[in-house]
Amino acid sequence: MQSDRLIVFDNVSKFYGEVLGINRITLSIAPGVTSLVGPNGAGKTTLMNLMTGLLRPTKGAIRVLDIPPSDPERFYRNIGYCSQFDAFPKGLSGYHMIHSMMSLHGFSGSEAESRTWNALERVGMTDAAHRRVAGYSKGMRQRIRLALALAHDPKVLVLDEPLNGLDPMARAEVIDLFRKFADSGMHVIISSHIMHEVDIVSDSVIMLSGGYVVAEGNIQGVRHEMEDHPIQILVRCDRPAVVASNVFQQDSVVEVKIHTDGRGLLVSTRNPDQFYDLLNRIVLENRIAVEGVSPADENVHAVYQYLVGSNGAGPL
Amino acid sequence: MAVYKRTYTRYSGPLTSERWRCMIIPRYAFQTVLASRFYTGAFVLALVPHLIALLLIYFRSHIDALGGLGIDARGLQIISINGGFFINLFIVETFVSFFLVALLGPGLIAPDLANNAMPLYLSRPFSRAEYVIGKMSVLLTVTSLITWVPGLLLFSIQTALAGLSWSWDNFRILPAILLGSLLWLLTISLIALALSAWVKWRPVAAAALFGIFFVSAGFGTVTNALLLTRWGTLLNLASAMGMVWRWLFLNEMQYRVATFPFETMPSWTGLVSLVFVCGLALVLLAWKIRPAQVVR
Repeated sequence: MQSDRLIVFDNVSKFYGEVLGINRITLSIAPGVTSLVGPNGAGKTTLMNLMTGLLRPTKGAIRVLDIPPSDPERFYRNIGYCSQFDAFPKGLSGYHMIHSMMSLHGFSGSEAESRTWNALERVGMTDAAHRRVAGYSKGMRQRIRLALALAHDPKVLVLDEPLNGLDPMARAEVIDLFRKFADSGMHVIISSHIMHEVDIVSDSVIMLSGGYVVAEGNIQGVRHEMEDHPIQILVRCDRPAVVASNVFQQDSVVEVKIHTDGRGLLVSTRNPDQFYDLLNRIVLENRIAVEGVSPADENVHAVYQYLVGSNGAGPL
Repeated sequence: MAVYKRTYTRYSGPLTSERWRCMIIPRYAFQTVLASRFYTGAFVLALVPHLIALLLIYFRSHIDALGGLGIDARGLQIISINGGFFINLFIVETFVSFFLVALLGPGLIAPDLANNAMPLYLSRPFSRAEYVIGKMSVLLTVTSLITWVPGLLLFSIQTALAGLSWSWDNFRILPAILLGSLLWLLTISLIALALSAWVKWRPVAAAALFGIFFVSAGFGTVTNALLLTRWGTLLNLASAMGMVWRWLFLNEMQYRVATFPFETMPSWTGLVSLVFVCGLALVLLAWKIRPAQVVR
């Protein structure tokens, strides 16, 4: 892919004095939704601050769509940032807040106004536009932050914990919005602690621990590369004991657990493709009624547990 | 929707000049100032010294006319409208402008830092320097309106009343008003902003500003007394500015008379002292105003 469509980290390190932020990170992030996952202190916010030019790397170089942070006029035209902090100057209304930020981007009064209303409408905040931000609920503040990030139509949206404080309905709407942005060719970089939503929304995942990238890419791809951890497959069927007794024909199957309700089994295998072939044969030969077959740990949460959770790192 | 319409398209319309974008920052600060009766009242009071000076200039030029109205204003003849007159006015304004800055300054940066708003500003095509200039422009505009702007107006009125020859004889007053005011306003504005950045609680920041002003003056006096020197005077911001005012406003003869108590202190040391304070305030601002919050 051309470098003007990528966010590139080239051997980037950031130290705060003697404290490590991130270390020797080399990444190429393609358009789509990319989630940053990791425990507290893993380096997610540092990575985002570097990506948005708010921090300078101690070592290495960053280019966003082939533009370095040293060219702020072009750089920030392409980036919309939503910080995780409750970051609003005191006394302003949501409308004035976004309008003044649009003016800082160089839009004329009328253009800034139309962009402000457009952004407020996208996040469902038009009714409360003229109320002071200080009087907003947590969810409303989160929406205003989102509106601030996207009002100037950036090509890269960097959103630190964008789902925090939103009710389930609003979360679904925001996730839908992210998908629309990604489908239109934008980069949407999010950090979130809500794993199942990361799973739903992400095209790819960057997993961080202790300032290092421990995994990167499509979550299924990452999972399949983890050869130390057998893939778990859940089979829902009417006679799980028969399937269980037959799957051990294969050396790659390392563990089988019968589900407590007696209507399924959980198989751990090092070679899922071989297992699916065997399962077909067992089902046909024994006339077993199968309700469903699905991977049980091909998700962000499981990968996170294997890569980060097991080494004693902090909680999410 | 057609697929081609779903492709991201960028804004390609005109943009405003980068140079003046920092002026967006004070927009809402001015609204706050104008909406507050307290600030408006303080601003009007700050103009009183200039109003008194205006009346003196006017009556001084119309002593005979006042006599015609039965008002004996001959006593005003002892007042000379010259550098000495203006220096007294601006020494008063030194204190008045300081009080106004102490009212407005602490509320400018502290709320942004307390609310972690710096990433909001600085994740735009907008630098830290522009942010500080934007905030400082609030103080500089308000204090300019009570110092050099009416000062220049008084100079013009006196020129109109006394003639161009007066203006020629007292020409140094014009640059003195401008340069002196700007130096003083810049100094106190930078101190106020630095304190606003370091002390997030507004009343404490205001108290600290007064503290710096009066405690440094006291410290300077004690230093002079203990060490039998005059260099302690440089710790007193108002005295340092007083030295600069005298240097700028007064001609050589007036200067010798007026600087008698400070004769051991060269005037440029006052200027150096204020420039040093400005530099220190800038370092403190650069230290505190950072785009991202760093958790160590």
